[in-house]
Amino acid sequence: MSSQATTSNIAMNQDASLPNPKKWLTIGAIGLLISLVGLISSPIGAYSYLVSVLFVSSIAIGMLFLVLIHHIFDAGWSTVVRRQAENFLSVVPYLGFLFIPLFLMTMKDNGLIWIWMDDTASLHGHGTVGEDVLYLKKTWWLNETFFWIRAIICFGSWAFFARALRKHSFSQDSDGKAEHTFACRKLAAGGLVVVALTWSCAAFDWIMGLEYHWFSTMFGVWFFANAMRAALAVLVLTCTYLVAKGPLKGIFNNKHLHDLTTLSFAFCVFWAYISFSQYFLIWNGNIPEETFWFNYREEGIYFYIGMFLVFGHFLFPFLFLLQFKLKTAHASARFICCWILFMQLFDLYYNILPSLKDSHGEPYQMFSSPLNFVWFISGIVGVVGILLWAYWTSFNKVKIIPIRDPRITESLNHSH
Amino acid sequence: MAKKYGLIAKFDTPADIMHAAEKVRDAGYKQWDVITPFPIHGMDPAMGLKRSIVPRFTIVGGTLGFTTGMSMIWFTNAYDYKILIGGKPLFSPMFAFPVSYELTILFSAFASIAGMFIMNKLPMHYHPMLKHKEVAASSDDKFFLYIETADPQYSEESTRSLLESLNPVEIDELDD
Amino acid sequence: MASAHSSSSEPKPAILAEVNPVDIPRAAMVDNNRSFNWITEKICGIIEEKTPTWWWVLFIIACCTASFTLFGLVYLVSTGVGVWGLANPVNWGWAIVNFVFWIGIGHAGTLISAILCLLRQKWRTSINRAAEAMTIFAVVCAGLFPVFHVGRVWLAWFLFPLPNANAIWPNFRSALLWDVFAVSTYGTVSVLFWYVGLLPDLATIRDRCTSKVKQVLYGFFALGWRGSNRHWRNYEMCYLLLAGLSTPLVLSVHTIVSFDFAISLVPGWHTTIFPPYFVAGAIFSGFGMVLTLMLPLRAVYRLEDLITQYHIDCMTKIVLATGTMVGYAYGMEFFIAAYGANDFEIFAFVNRAFGNYAWAYWIMISCNVISPQFFWFKSIRENTTLVWIISIFVNVGMWFERFVITVTSLSRDFVPSSWGYYSPTVVDIFTYLGTFGLFSVLFLLFIRFLPLMAMAEIKAVTPQADPHHH
Repeated sequence: MSSQATTSNIAMNQDASLPNPKKWLTIGAIGLLISLVGLISSPIGAYSYLVSVLFVSSIAIGMLFLVLIHHIFDAGWSTVVRRQAENFLSVVPYLGFLFIPLFLMTMKDNGLIWIWMDDTASLHGHGTVGEDVLYLKKTWWLNETFFWIRAIICFGSWAFFARALRKHSFSQDSDGKAEHTFACRKLAAGGLVVVALTWSCAAFDWIMGLEYHWFSTMFGVWFFANAMRAALAVLVLTCTYLVAKGPLKGIFNNKHLHDLTTLSFAFCVFWAYISFSQYFLIWNGNIPEETFWFNYREEGIYFYIGMFLVFGHFLFPFLFLLQFKLKTAHASARFICCWILFMQLFDLYYNILPSLKDSHGEPYQMFSSPLNFVWFISGIVGVVGILLWAYWTSFNKVKIIPIRDPRITESLNHSH
Repeated sequence: MAKKYGLIAKFDTPADIMHAAEKVRDAGYKQWDVITPFPIHGMDPAMGLKRSIVPRFTIVGGTLGFTTGMSMIWFTNAYDYKILIGGKPLFSPMFAFPVSYELTILFSAFASIAGMFIMNKLPMHYHPMLKHKEVAASSDDKFFLYIETADPQYSEESTRSLLESLNPVEIDELDD
Repeated sequence: MASAHSSSSEPKPAILAEVNPVDIPRAAMVDNNRSFNWITEKICGIIEEKTPTWWWVLFIIACCTASFTLFGLVYLVSTGVGVWGLANPVNWGWAIVNFVFWIGIGHAGTLISAILCLLRQKWRTSINRAAEAMTIFAVVCAGLFPVFHVGRVWLAWFLFPLPNANAIWPNFRSALLWDVFAVSTYGTVSVLFWYVGLLPDLATIRDRCTSKVKQVLYGFFALGWRGSNRHWRNYEMCYLLLAGLSTPLVLSVHTIVSFDFAISLVPGWHTTIFPPYFVAGAIFSGFGMVLTLMLPLRAVYRLEDLITQYHIDCMTKIVLATGTMVGYAYGMEFFIAAYGANDFEIFAFVNRAFGNYAWAYWIMISCNVISPQFFWFKSIRENTTLVWIISIFVNVGMWFERFVITVTSLSRDFVPSSWGYYSPTVVDIFTYLGTFGLFSVLFLLFIRFLPLMAMAEIKAVTPQADPHHH
């Protein structure tokens, strides 16, 4: 891209009323620093850090899925929206760096997060991990070397696809070559297979592995549903914000909004379907080796969080998004998307935090100390700061819509 | 002698009929309709029609279906004739869910179709349009617009001149 | 919509002046720029022409084949369920395999008509009618097996919560009862959806009819449809709602079918991925069947302008995608069996791949996971004969998938002394083969008497149907 074009882009996109990326970098850095203190100082701080990293990963990889799906379907209407998703993809290469503190901490204190990493960790009356026959049978998968190799493969493949998709899309803006579109389609075909596998692997390793006795074949699909919901919510928030602030005004219309919120609705149902099926099959089967995982999640505060998820993460958004008027008005769409993101965080808490045990082997209650809120909030502020820093930096560098995309006119004329 | 039902104009393309409908709407007619072989996008606003209210029937049907399912299962298995099987609770929304879910959909589907029939007053095997000589064209590739004599604004001259101003292929009388 | 009007009054964003899309044209839904009238003539022509000889030949063959099922079932009812090769512990054999197979076939019809309608995939219009018909006929074939499997079929009404002399009710904790509700709802809603879609086309046929009998019959079922836009408004909303209802329905039906297996504790069956895995498999097998049926019809009736290469491309890509998803599920099952470190699960899966039914397992893998991978290549997607052959492989593979799931786990039950090798009897085989005849009879009647494609919908996706088209 020529320097002249770059300056004109910046002049076009930069607006005094739009946030400065540096501001978000500062906020993110402060949040992360506090969160790192938590990671070092207490197990709940470490878990909170993990939740934060997975929260931002689910948004970013959800965006990656959206862009891949857009290309594989040769979709038309979503072209104006895709550019914003691509801007969010700029955070993907940093996700691996966010994971490094977890690596360093587990080097120092092996069983801090993934208990199986520590052979001497107590299983509360059932000996230690090193003596656990179930662990010994799983060492082929659950060993530290392989675990970190898998993490590198995951982050590496995501970064590769995110960068490649961004590169082709932005290059097309300036050179207008059709090859970029074809290249994206090829990337999408391979990328969907690879990202589906790596994202499942991430779900198994980083969340299911926290409680290594438990297993569910559905878990990867659950994590996919989660990522899609988070990404769609962020996308709606971004687009409505950009309409309010001007850059997307007259481009992003109510029909685009309607389609995005309809997708949110669809994935709300999909998430419920996956979560219900998983719970239901385990409930109905009633085998102790599976049910214990949900039993932990019915203790103390987690029971109420579980109920909160049923009503707040499914029923309320379901009924809300069922209504045409609420789905197509900016204010109500923004509200429900904020709500979904908030609930998404609780879904992660629900799936992750009960795996942390107190000294009696009972699930650690997440609200047991006011200090925990510091770790929860700082972690989220930190990763959201990084996400928005990456987003706005990318936003300022590129056109607001892919002007040479073959489907751009179709997308701009998308109405009714 | 057949009574007159209205005046009917014939058009060749979706664009023509759409512009014609916009003009008739702006002229303030109420008792008129457009006959097309397939739904034309944007015709509803062109005719000044609001969003269909069929979804309201659906939501009523769905709610009814779900409550029917849940209460039926509670009544049959936990109240009227208690069956204890596999150590499972007598009633739980978990195992009652699949059947209630199916009934929700079944009742919603019935309600949607009933709603559509009620709103459209179907079945109605008698309508002046069905006797029109060009009815076969109306379900093939031609587009028609008629204004009823029952419309308060209807008058032989002004209505005919309005239709003529729309550049139709042909204007005809529609017998009752 | 409103935005189209409002944007003209406001200043347009400057970026719009820079928009200059690369030219990658979309494929046309109807090739050779056909007129509305051509579409009507083409599709109505199929049912208005004199019954072709090949139709009679196929119809008679189909009737003969269907009689296998009739004889098989008469023999079963008069003798007992024992005539099917079921013996403890394999109490579910071909009957449930065939049931799941046929139900799965049906799912593509609903997928094409409902999910693709919601996703506004316009290419659905030329195949949805036939695919929905396929759904209904497949549900009929599927329903036969569980109904006759109950043994005393005249008491099958006990399945419904109807007051009876014993004063007891069905057990709602049983997945088999959920099946009753799921499949009957599915059948009903599919018929309704199909019929609502048929209304405008029935009106077209009625208006063109030359004989009084036909006019009265088609007219009766057209319900006096007259193409009024005031009707279209409610009609389109109703159609969209039915599509919206059918989507969760079709997912739930195969989910509940998967519950038949997954809520049990049998190793190899009790796994949480079963619901989405069964749904993906159902769509996969259904699209296989759509291709198997539509490609010959396309050739016989010269429908290349309506079922274009683009349509075939879309369908083959869906087969590829769902086949790969099914492959993902096979992989996940193995992975979690190994990861779960449960000896019985591990045994169940090792037994699948290397036990005495390994031949069935490898047929399944090669047909379901490997054969669709050929669709990555454009040259294969464009070769109709090869596409058709692969679609047959898909059908075969999906039948074997259900066979593998059902039989390998049951024949190696918890008690090794009862292990055995299950084989079907001749009655099993003929009853199953006969259902293909039954399906064909129904499908042949459909193409003879009802419009094979949704004329109104195809017209609506042609370029000249757009009021802004010049």
